Amino acid sequence: MHEPNFKQLQSQLLRVGISPRHVQRTVVELREHLDDLVEAELDAGRDIEDARRAAAKQIGDLQEVAIAMRACPELRSWSYRFPRTAIVVYPLACLALLPAVPVLAGIAHAPQLARWGACMLLGGTVTASMFLLMQLSISLG
Amino acid sequence: MAQSNPPFMSGVPELLLLRLLDQNEMYGYELVRSIRKATGEAISLGEGVIYPALHGLERNGALKSRRKPVRGRTRVYYSLTAKGRTRLDKLQTDWRRIQGGITSALESGYA
Repeated sequence: MHEPNFKQLQSQLLRVGISPRHVQRTVVELREHLDDLVEAELDAGRDIEDARRAAAKQIGDLQEVAIAMRACPELRSWSYRFPRTAIVVYPLACLALLPAVPVLAGIAHAPQLARWGACMLLGGTVTASMFLLMQLSISLG
Repeated sequence: MAQSNPPFMSGVPELLLLRLLDQNEMYGYELVRSIRKATGEAISLGEGVIYPALHGLERNGALKSRRKPVRGRTRVYYSLTAKGRTRLDKLQTDWRRIQGGITSALESGYA
């Protein structure tokens, strides 16, 4: 197998606290880079298997990428850089956000809520009409 | 007072990246090719290692990036900021000072 293991790199970087934004972008850029290398090798006349093998060799050991990223503290996520602050801020932020959750959920599911509301209104109108008819039939009958 | 010397090779990839990006905006693959060409293949980085360096420089404000779709792919192009240009000037000055010092030591016969 010549394909570098980007999935493993991704989980490894996330485990050591690299910000998910940087992890995702690094993996995307590495994949693009690998595609460019394969393309260049194919243009040079290699067959696809050889091209993939050569490209993987040129991109290098992904462990080196992981080590280089771990060596950059500025690439770590906020909570890893300031763990003590995160311990205080995260629970408080969760508490503050709790009342907003139903509103946010409502905004996120607005079409479903609108359909549900319309169905309830229709159901209520039908039921009320039936009650009215029954009442009228009792009163008049 | 004498200035302290930065570690020998640790600033080299940074210096090369900033120098090349001072001329044109480029994406990772293009940068690796340009480094090889510009240094006559004397310096060839493990190609994947360029991305942590680029992200670190961007995080420090020396570079900025933008996504650009090219032939159905999304490439991330990097370019130098004003802060990056200042950093480049400093690194170039440091490098020339060290280079001058080493050359002088080699030529004087003390080495």
